[in-house]
Amino acid sequence: MTTSSDSAARHPDAASRVTVSRGPWATAVGRILRQPSAIIALVVLALIIAATAAAPIYAEYVSRTNPFATALSAKIWLDGQEVLVIQPVTEGLGLGTIPIGPTWGPQYLVGSDSLGRDVMARILYGGQNSLFIAGIATTISLVFALLVGLCAGFFGGIVDTVLTRLLDVVWAFPVFLLATSLSVVTIGRSFDFGLFEIRADSIIIPVLIIGIVNIPYIARPVRAQTIQVRQSEFVTAARGIGVPSWRILLIDVVPNVLPILIVFAPITVAISMILESSLSFLSIGVQAPESSWGTIIRENQPLLYSRPWTTLAPGLAIVLTVVMLNLLGDVVRDAFDPRMKQED
Amino acid sequence: MQRMLLGAMVGATLVAGMPAFAQDTDRSTLMTAHRGGKLTLLAPGFDGSIDPQIAYDELTWQIHAVVYDQLLTFQKADGEASNVVVPDLAEALPEVSDDGRTLTFKLRRGIRFSNGAEVTTADVRASFERMFKVASPTSDKFYTGIVGADACVAERASCSLEKGIEIDPATNTVTFHLVAPDAEFLSKVAMFHASIVPADTPPTDQGVVPPLGTGPYMITEYDPATGLTAVRNPEFKEWSVEAQPDGYVDEIHYTFGLDSNSALNAVLNNQADWMFHRVPTERLGEISASYSDRAHIHNEVSYWLAPMNTTIPPFNDVRVRQALAYAVDRAALVNQYGGPNLATPICQHLPVGIPGHVDFCDYTVNPGTTWSGPDMDRARALIAEAGVAGQKVTVFGDDRHNVRENALYLQSLLTELGFDAEVKILSDSLYWNYINNTENKVQMSVHRWMLDYPEPGNFIGALFTCANIREASSSNVNLSGFCDPTLEQMIADANTATLKDRAAGAEAWAKIDRYVTENAPAVPLYQPKILDVFSSRVGGAPIAFSGLASVTLSSLWVQ
Amino acid sequence: MLRFVLFRLMQMIFIMTGLSMVVFLIFFATPGIDPAANIAGRGASEEVLAAVRESFGLDRPLPIQYLSMMKRMLIDQDLTSFSNRSYQVLPAILNSLPVTFSVAFGTAVIWVSVSIAFGTAAALTRGKLTDKLLMTIGLIGISMPVFWVASVANLFTQHRYQDSWLFSWVPPLGYVPLSEDPGSWALHLIIPWITGSILYIGLYSRLLRSSLVEVYHEDFIRTARAKGLSETRILFRHALRTAMLPFVSLLGLDLGALIAGNTLIVELLFGLPGLGMLTFRALQSLDLPFMMTTIMYGSFFVVLLNTLVDLLYAFLDPRVKDARRN
Repeated sequence: MTTSSDSAARHPDAASRVTVSRGPWATAVGRILRQPSAIIALVVLALIIAATAAAPIYAEYVSRTNPFATALSAKIWLDGQEVLVIQPVTEGLGLGTIPIGPTWGPQYLVGSDSLGRDVMARILYGGQNSLFIAGIATTISLVFALLVGLCAGFFGGIVDTVLTRLLDVVWAFPVFLLATSLSVVTIGRSFDFGLFEIRADSIIIPVLIIGIVNIPYIARPVRAQTIQVRQSEFVTAARGIGVPSWRILLIDVVPNVLPILIVFAPITVAISMILESSLSFLSIGVQAPESSWGTIIRENQPLLYSRPWTTLAPGLAIVLTVVMLNLLGDVVRDAFDPRMKQED
Repeated sequence: MQRMLLGAMVGATLVAGMPAFAQDTDRSTLMTAHRGGKLTLLAPGFDGSIDPQIAYDELTWQIHAVVYDQLLTFQKADGEASNVVVPDLAEALPEVSDDGRTLTFKLRRGIRFSNGAEVTTADVRASFERMFKVASPTSDKFYTGIVGADACVAERASCSLEKGIEIDPATNTVTFHLVAPDAEFLSKVAMFHASIVPADTPPTDQGVVPPLGTGPYMITEYDPATGLTAVRNPEFKEWSVEAQPDGYVDEIHYTFGLDSNSALNAVLNNQADWMFHRVPTERLGEISASYSDRAHIHNEVSYWLAPMNTTIPPFNDVRVRQALAYAVDRAALVNQYGGPNLATPICQHLPVGIPGHVDFCDYTVNPGTTWSGPDMDRARALIAEAGVAGQKVTVFGDDRHNVRENALYLQSLLTELGFDAEVKILSDSLYWNYINNTENKVQMSVHRWMLDYPEPGNFIGALFTCANIREASSSNVNLSGFCDPTLEQMIADANTATLKDRAAGAEAWAKIDRYVTENAPAVPLYQPKILDVFSSRVGGAPIAFSGLASVTLSSLWVQ
Repeated sequence: MLRFVLFRLMQMIFIMTGLSMVVFLIFFATPGIDPAANIAGRGASEEVLAAVRESFGLDRPLPIQYLSMMKRMLIDQDLTSFSNRSYQVLPAILNSLPVTFSVAFGTAVIWVSVSIAFGTAAALTRGKLTDKLLMTIGLIGISMPVFWVASVANLFTQHRYQDSWLFSWVPPLGYVPLSEDPGSWALHLIIPWITGSILYIGLYSRLLRSSLVEVYHEDFIRTARAKGLSETRILFRHALRTAMLPFVSLLGLDLGALIAGNTLIVELLFGLPGLGMLTFRALQSLDLPFMMTTIMYGSFFVVLLNTLVDLLYAFLDPRVKDARRN
């Protein structure tokens, strides 16, 4: 892999395009903001975050329901009539009930779940949990994958062996057993670490679990890439003239590894959101009656046959977030890539 | 009894007017016309041993009903008739003497196990001894009344019931000696744990190797991961159509592993004949509308309740407990379960189908015989009186459908009533043991209580008596921790009364029901029914006898 | 080379032993788990629980229990389940492996081939609509939880459109062994394969595209062009080979995890009795012998596949082999 200093020299246009450099960061930001897709992505992401932050307002003034309380006998006004939110079936044997479907109006926009709760309101509240958990967990995964991959790939030898075997253990670890166990251990108790206390239903636990579980996955390609860079003539030469390791790492290796992280970031966000819902079902993290996008999909799974929007809507929320992150990520990666022909 | 809730169907009454199923009068004609074929069934999986003296879940009991026999059994009929105990391996109901302490059974001759060996009196005693040797879950609950059983509980391996069960091969009689008369003993003898197996069956849990039985079918293959196969028992000759009728199909096959939606699809597509899984609530409308001719509704003798811990606040105050019982919107819960055709609100602790049940409902807006609506005002007044507003309450539920919904509803209700309420949903594998254990100080939980046999002692006597409180144990059925000397005396009196006259006993239990209901150790929620869906080729009059097993497999034909 | 393999073997054993101890400890350290209660079944009285504890040796010290269980698993090979007393663990697991292998490898074949197609197409048409479209499809695939996709698949193929020409060929859910009827085996697995691969297609096509784009900037590609090689040749002989490296390394991880039990959801929703389903049921009933054995099997495959991938990697990229020699 070539490095930044190399390519500047090789670009045929380089000589004619030398201008006063604003530094790599300012340049990158400038490039990012010039891309329409980046603007779109940033705006949409900001809207998503704003919408989830405004969840309490939506619940109180638009939906006028409590998304966390069951409302088995609730009624709303629809087309001038008062209808039950959970309607008994009258056909045939008269068995079962069916929750109201999407009204596309302020109340029960995408319909109700089997407990009479407004799914849209739950999606907005749930977004807070999903974004927070996935965001932090992804950051943990990326940061540690970077560190572990770099160390393993760059220093090689025993460090590499120990770290990769550690990654194997983490990857093979029975996470769900651990989660089941933790779920019992933490009921009604909290962990006291002197300075701070982790409550049983704290979000920290799933964040940590998800963050750690994803590390081996990302660390491997990081490590592989690091090894490749390390083998390159440039790095060998740099070492030969005595450039310290940390400098080589920071200036030559990291920029080459960054694209990998950027590819994985939105993917990890998506995977984290889904994994979080599995952990919730084992009583770790987001607990009923609270919601996250993943748990909404899970708990409305039985409604698939009759009210598909209750799972489609949260799914679309995940897709939208992930696609926007990805758009942004593409632009960011290109912005930091000096080989891209950019208009500065 | 709290058995595995595998979405079981149990019940008695056939909904009238189902065109696909004939009301037979001449069984032999029907038997000739429809004999043969293979019944394909779907189930989530058998949970645990197939040993009849260990198995304690509704699914395993379904196959056991047609593989094993007991001295007595519950009549394999529909409706209230299935509460009647009839002789099975015994020729007739026992002769009772010595004030009810001695029961003499005469064993039928000529009944053979599937290996050809005849059933002898030795097999009977050995089977009861084996119950203790293998540590059958009900051995020390139901059968300690037999003389010598106490020693068996203490020293299982060397259990000998020589004194308690006298056998006489010459006259082919088996005589039980009880320590004290037991009004429910006949029912207990009819339970599946008292199945008669060969005396040489090893005295250890047989796991996946089924002991030999005497029923119309025998199990030939069993893999807990994939399925079970049973074929006709060549040695079976029908000796009593009430106790153990011959089956129509030649082979029964269970396939395990599908989830309920997939199983339902398979049945609707006629790829399977019946499924053990509960019909997902959200598909009920579809069944109602498009498949009503393949659907059956059975009563079930069970009920859903929310036990409240009477030993810790806030539920240690009876007013608070009553408040909850007034406030619960049973109609909403019934709707959530599947609608009024699948469940009925219950305000008491003896469900329909149990002797002693008398319709009444006080915990409602207009007290009378049935529930009419929640009485929130009364509830709030009681809570205000007790002064518990704002206290923390945690409701527990597990992640199975319905338990979860009920728990979430209760949490909402508690919040509405002014408590600081939380709900905790546990994984199914941990839930029951967790809420049983008093160390966990569970304030409120939700579960369904199913009968072992149709007697009131199996409900109130199990759920709310002092003897069933076990501190710091995973097996503590009296979740409310309710221990009341008055109740204990009333129960003892009722048992004595039943021994003399069942009707008088039932009246006594009805009074006990009122007493317990007033003291509200648990909130009674609703009594469910079960919906069975069959493939279009299934015929016969599906019998589901009184809560002991799901649809009796010998009552169905496929061709 | 031999040293490498032996060394990895030792590490594998170390990891598996470590994991089994961890599983054991977690099981017994969890206060809500009472193995006796789970074995005896619900409703058992305290006396029965005591009898069960004694009979299963649950009152013996933990190290003894661990060693005796490991002995039964590895030496006597007659380890039996806690929930089903005479149900042998090892034959059950061995019977489940062909199912899981079928699911995992079939899924892998589909996702690898489709990812290569998508990733290459996207890289070659970089920046254009095809690229953006393919990548968005991929992202949607990653965001859809597998259980949801599987349920929708069943909804369409087993229920709503079951009779239509589109899906009438779909057989009832379940597994048919390859040895019994290859055609039926494949038919039963097609929908599960596609369902399982959707998530991975999104990921891998993304990854390949990114790697390809990077590789195309490399000097040696420029050199090859200068030498007059055709674009196709460049793509297949040079570019892909290098770009596949990260792809391959992740493939090993995912395949290992799949076999170790990530096929769980697909198995559950399509009625395929594989290792994933066994592991799940073991966890549900907290059946310790099954849990230990399935997790050990799982970790075995994870480490095995990682090792294989490392070997493959070294084969593909000589620079990496050098790195190891340091």
